[in-house]
Amino acid sequence: MDFIWGLVQILGVHTIIGLSAYVILLTGQVSMAQAGFCAIGAYIAGMLTVLAEWHIIPGMLVGGLAAGALACVVGFPALRVKGLMFTVATLAFGEFVRLFWFNFDYQISRGGFEIGPLGGEGFRQIRFFPENGWSTLEVAIFVWVWVILIMAILWWMDRSRIGAVLRAVGEDELAAQSVGINLTAVKVTAFTIGGFIAGLGGGIYAHYTTHVEHLNFGVLLATFAIAYPILGGLRTVVGTLLAVLFIQGVLVEGLRFLGDLRNILFGAFIVLAMNLRPAGFIDARVTRALGRLFRAERGGA
Amino acid sequence: MKKQTLSLLSAVAVAALLGTGATPAAAERTAKIAGFGAKSGVVRSFGVNTEAVMQAAVEHINSQGGVKLGDGSMAMLEMSFDDDRCNAEEGISVLRKIASSDALVAVGPTCSNVAEPLFGILQRSVDDAGDSGLRIPIFTDTAIKGGLAKISEWAFRNVPNETEMYRTLFLWVKENYPDLQTVYGGVEEDFAHSRFTWYNVMDTRAQEAGFEVVGFSKWLLADTNFTQQVREMKKAKPDFVALSSHPFTLCGILKEMNRQRVRPKLMIGLTSSSSMETLQGCSKAAEGIIIPSSFAPVTDAAKMVAKLADEKGGSADLHSAAAWEIVEVIAQVMESEGVMATEDSVQEDRRKIRDGLAKLETTNGLIGTIMREGDGEATKPYLYVHAQDGEWAVLHDPGAS
Repeated sequence: MDFIWGLVQILGVHTIIGLSAYVILLTGQVSMAQAGFCAIGAYIAGMLTVLAEWHIIPGMLVGGLAAGALACVVGFPALRVKGLMFTVATLAFGEFVRLFWFNFDYQISRGGFEIGPLGGEGFRQIRFFPENGWSTLEVAIFVWVWVILIMAILWWMDRSRIGAVLRAVGEDELAAQSVGINLTAVKVTAFTIGGFIAGLGGGIYAHYTTHVEHLNFGVLLATFAIAYPILGGLRTVVGTLLAVLFIQGVLVEGLRFLGDLRNILFGAFIVLAMNLRPAGFIDARVTRALGRLFRAERGGA
Repeated sequence: MKKQTLSLLSAVAVAALLGTGATPAAAERTAKIAGFGAKSGVVRSFGVNTEAVMQAAVEHINSQGGVKLGDGSMAMLEMSFDDDRCNAEEGISVLRKIASSDALVAVGPTCSNVAEPLFGILQRSVDDAGDSGLRIPIFTDTAIKGGLAKISEWAFRNVPNETEMYRTLFLWVKENYPDLQTVYGGVEEDFAHSRFTWYNVMDTRAQEAGFEVVGFSKWLLADTNFTQQVREMKKAKPDFVALSSHPFTLCGILKEMNRQRVRPKLMIGLTSSSSMETLQGCSKAAEGIIIPSSFAPVTDAAKMVAKLADEKGGSADLHSAAAWEIVEVIAQVMESEGVMATEDSVQEDRRKIRDGLAKLETTNGLIGTIMREGDGEATKPYLYVHAQDGEWAVLHDPGAS
């Protein structure tokens, strides 16, 4: 079972990273900076639990807040550009963050060992979970409490005026502006929330892998972050979860027995899925059908 | 109806036959070893070679009757091999899968950036009940970055000690090439092993041997253009160069050196580049490069492993050959510690293997005796090899002098 609970942890962390991009995608922006925010959360949370010996929850929250604050600061200039230019700008920012950690050394001596981030060699021994006796199942539960909490908040937000405003900006900026919506404020808010969520995800990531290095937060992770909500569909937060299950659960883990063939099939299956479900796994038709189903059940009851 | 009855009877008969046929196989005891490493991506060849050599080692041991268990019966070794794509997350997932299976020991991984987190999720001290880390011995053949095994008492490595190798190599160069005074370095900056080896090993050992390091260039694993780095090298006018780089970018830099006509009097390479990939990628440009290596087909055993690896579709080099030694050591420890290899004894057997590995002081290597260190590391015999006419030839045996 240890393997299953380990996989559940991975699915949870990737869902959080996907949800961080989901919020920004709602406003019509494609952010490639999520891996960078994730790195900030990972390193800061790791340093707080390893060097300052904090509990993981405040460590993660501080990491998330730092990532969110930086997203807010970066959001103002970055969001002056739109579309592909914004994507390129966020990609550059993500690389800047990665290279920052690549060159960042801060080690202290404890018990005869040097601990802390060491540039390109990474940051090892982020062992809060095993050192405190957490079982793999307990870690999986911990991860999923955060996943459910974030999903619930985003679900509620989606159904509130905030969600309507985000979607209005994503659908048609001009129309949204003409009804008095402050585009910059909305986009920066979404970017900040996305940064905060990615920072939380990074905090958990660092602790379940016990070692982070700049390579973990490159373009591949940034691409996965936006691929999850796009592949899952932007109609609901559940789409991101389904896409994570498909990519991490089926394509990465489920096909491992295929060896080299897995890598070829990986790309082919994603292309196939995008062709069969161009608007994502959960598109408008699926949400309408589900809505009708629930209404009918309620009516029947 | 009659047809259906016949089909049913046939199915029952087939099932019965299959059942009978399965009985002897089920009765045969097996002891499982789980290998894993990078079988895809830039470092794919390392995993492919390790799997081939492991498979050959397992078949070799099984052909001699297998391993003797604690109850006196014999068991065949059985191995699996999973691809971790040189990715930390995937490596953790693979190790958890292995730990959830009845495998008694894991062999791998390829990459140091995977080994670090893997060793991190293991229990640090074996008797620390408060540490919930995984409890399965891992024996590493390839991930070579210095000092990793001390992360956990469940981690062991059979990788060469680069600090010692380069210390003696630079001293040997000093002695045999007295006209060489200055060295220029090159480092594949974003790969844990090459980076560690330049900054912590090559740079310092060269200076200790009395050479002046006149500078160094950096590049990345995915780089394909080395113009600037070689220009910097040319400008520094070193007597010789020391390149801490894996075969893929080593070939890039060597070809660029050829293009810019940079011809140092001597070239020294990274241990991991003493493999077939370098010769396949740039044998002409690599001609003469000297690398310390813990494997060369210089003994009968080493020649046999090289041949068997070739038959299995891989090649024996300093990394994959270590997998052969590991499988042999594991088989030896299984016998000495009385492993039972039953469904109920998996955790107990893992502990026995760990304790057995920790007790070892020496093991038999393919080119000589390997010293086991207290922290799970090894000090392996080594040779200096150089690229000569498209092959790796032994240049010097420091153990013989």
